[in-house]
Amino acid sequence: MAKAKPIPDLSGERSYAEAAARIVSVRASELFDQAGGVLDTGDIERVHDMRVATRRLRAALEIFEPCFPADAFRAALREVKRLADALGERRDRDVAIATLRGFNDQMPAVDRRGIASLIEELRDEQERANRELAPLVEAQSLRSLRESLDELVATSRSVPA
Amino acid sequence: MKARPVKKLDPDRSLGENGARIVRARLDEMMSFAPRALEGKTKAQHDMRIAAKRLRYVLELTGFVFGRPADTARRRARDLQDILGEIHDCDVMLPRVRAHAKLLQQRDASAVRARAGNAPDLDPRLAARAPHRTAYRGLDVLAVYLEARRQLLEDRFVDFWRRQEQTGTWARLARAVDAHLERARQARRTAKAAERARRRAEAAERAARRAEAQAERARLEGERAAGASRSLHAPDTSP
Repeated sequence: MAKAKPIPDLSGERSYAEAAARIVSVRASELFDQAGGVLDTGDIERVHDMRVATRRLRAALEIFEPCFPADAFRAALREVKRLADALGERRDRDVAIATLRGFNDQMPAVDRRGIASLIEELRDEQERANRELAPLVEAQSLRSLRESLDELVATSRSVPA
Repeated sequence: MKARPVKKLDPDRSLGENGARIVRARLDEMMSFAPRALEGKTKAQHDMRIAAKRLRYVLELTGFVFGRPADTARRRARDLQDILGEIHDCDVMLPRVRAHAKLLQQRDASAVRARAGNAPDLDPRLAARAPHRTAYRGLDVLAVYLEARRQLLEDRFVDFWRRQEQTGTWARLARAVDAHLERARQARRTAKAAERARRRAEAAERAARRAEAQAERARLEGERAAGASRSLHAPDTSP
């Protein structure tokens, strides 16, 4: 899991609104850094890293909500949540499949069939989740999300109009 | 679970003060679920996991302001989130495994019934050759494993929580945050008192200036009156 980037020049005395703009900006950039290869079900860490970055960004948005204009905030949060939910659906299947495979490997051969059929069912769901995630991680969708977030940061109460 | 609203957040005040208010609210929120979660109530355990996650995230961003108690609490909130997360995974997977076993059995029942054709009764040997008959046991074993693991994790959760209470992890965080809020309140009171004193000094200065101007005007008026009186009583030197 990628470590969160440090926020430059952050101090407790800095205004909440100014910290909001800095933190959301860094967390947003982390999200886009992690966007490569997430649809590859052969490397489940990719989707995990992007999901973690999305969760960090979402947490930052929720913590700093009062620092942003309500409409721009709601719109940006909605987009981030949508992406987070789609990543979550994929990740939940990835984890369940990996866990069940690990468990099945410990079982005697005669007992593996039932769990294997459950894994198959989860594989179908994983593919479905991947199909739903695909349009959200396309370059154009990510560009649009980046624009929403840049706009949000620019309208933060710390930025003079 | 919707996060409880945090009162008195102010974008113009410091990150530290606002962070302290959020941490306090999230800590109280997490603590409020403890009694029922420790009793084994699934919903409370789930809500507590979400609350621990929120506390962890706000500490990741603002914890540096509150020092070591926040650093420890952040790590413990993550541990708590992990344990409760694994319990939640069991809660999600267990009904799913049972449902899958049931689905296979239903499919088998349909297949066995179809094989019986028009027979007046069902031959047990047909059921013994049901297509998924060898799949049930693995799923049953998995269900037993998940149930037992959940119990073990719940025991770990209770031990973990008691240990944090004994070592005062959450109480220390609460004290650090409350102290920060008190310092911020004190600083504001001091700044307000200084502002009031400055305004009083300015008002006194203005009043002194007004009194001085008034005295000057009175002096000038006196001089003018004395001059007029002198010219009135002066001897008439006209021819």
